[in-house]
Amino acid sequence: MSDFYLVFKNMTRKPLRLFLTCFAIFIAFLIFGAVTSLKSALNSSVELSADNRLVVFNRINFTQSLPIAYVQKVATVEGVKHVTHLNWFGGYFQEPSRQVVSMAVDPESYLKVYEEIVIPEEQKQAWFNNRQGALVGEKLAQIYGWKVGDRIPLSSNIFSHKDGGYTWEFVISGIFKGDTEQYDTRQLLFHYKYFMETQTFGGDWIGWMALTTDDPAINENVAKTIDDNFANSQSETDTSTEKAFNKAFIEQIGNIGLIIFSVVFTAFFTILVVVGNTMALAIRERTGEIAVLKTLGFSSTRIFRMVLSESLLIAFVGGLSGLAAAWLLVEGVKTFLARFLPNLILDGDIALQAILFMLLLGLITGLMPAFQALRLNIVTAFNRQQ
Amino acid sequence: MGSLVAQIVSVTLMNLGSLRRRLWMSLAMVFASAVVVAILLAFLAMAKGFEATMSGAGSSQIAILMREGSASEINSVILQDQVNLIAESAGVARDTNGPLVSPELYVIVDGLKKSTGTEANIPLRGLNETGMAMRNNMRMVEGRMFTPGTNEMIVGEGVLREFNGFEIGKEVRFGKNLWTVVGVFSTGGNIFESELWADIKIIQSHYNRGNSYQSIRLQLENNGDLKPIQETIKREPRLNLEAQTEQEYFASQGKQLQYIATFGWIISSVMALGALAGALNTMYTSVADRAREIATLRALGFSNFSAFCGTIAEAMVLAVAGGLLGSLAAYLFFDGLNTSTLGGSFTQVVFSFEMSPDLFVQGAVLALVIGFISGFFPAWRAARMPVVVAFRHAT
Repeated sequence: MSDFYLVFKNMTRKPLRLFLTCFAIFIAFLIFGAVTSLKSALNSSVELSADNRLVVFNRINFTQSLPIAYVQKVATVEGVKHVTHLNWFGGYFQEPSRQVVSMAVDPESYLKVYEEIVIPEEQKQAWFNNRQGALVGEKLAQIYGWKVGDRIPLSSNIFSHKDGGYTWEFVISGIFKGDTEQYDTRQLLFHYKYFMETQTFGGDWIGWMALTTDDPAINENVAKTIDDNFANSQSETDTSTEKAFNKAFIEQIGNIGLIIFSVVFTAFFTILVVVGNTMALAIRERTGEIAVLKTLGFSSTRIFRMVLSESLLIAFVGGLSGLAAAWLLVEGVKTFLARFLPNLILDGDIALQAILFMLLLGLITGLMPAFQALRLNIVTAFNRQQ
Repeated sequence: MGSLVAQIVSVTLMNLGSLRRRLWMSLAMVFASAVVVAILLAFLAMAKGFEATMSGAGSSQIAILMREGSASEINSVILQDQVNLIAESAGVARDTNGPLVSPELYVIVDGLKKSTGTEANIPLRGLNETGMAMRNNMRMVEGRMFTPGTNEMIVGEGVLREFNGFEIGKEVRFGKNLWTVVGVFSTGGNIFESELWADIKIIQSHYNRGNSYQSIRLQLENNGDLKPIQETIKREPRLNLEAQTEQEYFASQGKQLQYIATFGWIISSVMALGALAGALNTMYTSVADRAREIATLRALGFSNFSAFCGTIAEAMVLAVAGGLLGSLAAYLFFDGLNTSTLGGSFTQVVFSFEMSPDLFVQGAVLALVIGFISGFFPAWRAARMPVVVAFRHAT
């Protein structure tokens, strides 16, 4: 009779209790997996930002624009490798609720600054040569079923077209991918020149600039030089790393995220405590049996091992199935939520973290009763039963 | 009948009296229900607070006009001649100074959040005296109104709570312009308290906005009656505007946090399932622990029903105790908690969590449900078990 058989028999002697315990653990890890994925999706823009990329905004706020002349001045700053400029278009496709992240950019410099963008050479050239051309991210193209060569109307909720209305027409010149799976490709990029010439107001203004530096180490110097250049001008600038900017932006969503996560994590741990308590009790109930096993000549360490493996087994059966369910859930809602949270993935880090918690749960709930079993004096154990 | 009640009472008391012996199991049960109730209340309090901030702002007496297709003020542009055309429209209330129309413009500026020390968007709204007068629930809490034509501004109470550096007398620099805070206003806790207000002409000139605006607020002649204004817009091709009542506008702006509330409901229901499994387990163990006691009672002539009721009562007492504990924790941690988030107009909405009495009722109901379910099945089993079997198993 192997030890495993005994462990298994012990575990399943009260099927209902086993089921309830596993179920509670299952739920706890389901939520843990789902919520942690959500959290890391929210933070992913921070982790994905390039180290040597800086963004230059108007000091008043990032929604205020800058004069286009600034681009040339920034290009001459020492340490700046490439610089490009972007205008937020406020685009939507057909319905105002179907928002499209769309920006008017200078094509050639944009692709130099955003090196993550992967696009076939002939599509790239086609985009450069067609003023009405637009470059569309893979995920965005999937959402609306767009293909290269399609003509699509895109409306703006900010700008109006010279010919009346708010709708611009674009031809899709190319579809780009990111160099990593997590790169957000729900964007549409089009020519700044086309935009400037066809809008009724806005003039020669740009939204913001993005630039790369020769080396991340000189970021701070470059940022300072740029801001000093424009100090006391009509439009002062604020230069920061892309990472810092994204982080600040996420913090704007604010304490809410933090509150939700702390509430959920408290709940997660409390459930583990409650379940752990039951698991420990279940083993303590068997003091008498353990005494019998000892009398039969089972060594203390062997019993210790058996008790511990039982609680670990329960923790992992419940936990792993919960984690698997969380993965299914995340995969299921991924496409549905792609518009808001492009990077919703339950990745290895999260799984590893969850597995650590399972291990911890199994160890903590198992160790105490296991130690008691280890030290159990047979005579007292039998006496207690009376 | 009287004896049945007496039986139930004595079994219940006995069960409760012996709780101490099962201290850890009982605590686990209390804990489990406390968590579920606390999570639920936290989410509900958040949704409630946000809703109060949004809906309090909307009056059906006021119409808000923006460029068609723009979902919020920040995306809209309106020119002076359009304002003039609308002011002449039928359906606009007038007083001795003329039509009650307030063209408004806002720019987004940065403020330093107290909680994180990071920059966040705050709207700086420009409006005229009519606009100020149209906000009936607005009152100055401290200081005075800004003087038109100067770089003076007044700040909402919410901004003061959440952001640093907007106290009265402070000078605030946005780009090249230096502003002085001269007053603090309250609008009864609604979204306008998340804003800074200043003179419209000054904002137009400081931010190169010419004679443009973003929205027009106007007082309606008849409460909620947008028809005459919509007819004017239809007739006049220069008016590419959309009119809605302020109430409708804020209701649509408040939608996104509704999702968070729904998310909260889902999370707490799923968590509740997990905690329920824990509670059920506890109760089963607790009943198994007393199998011999229950059997003895029944051998003595107590009815099955009283044994059943006694167990359910025990579970419910524990769950309600947990519910109280959870509500208390939620109340202590969350009630009045100030927070802010990015709202529909891309600016911070400052609001507080609000634990209203009806939330406590919902929490209590949830606790009772947990107690009932987790008591019912083990009690059923206890009451159904043949006395002989119970004795044999217990030894």
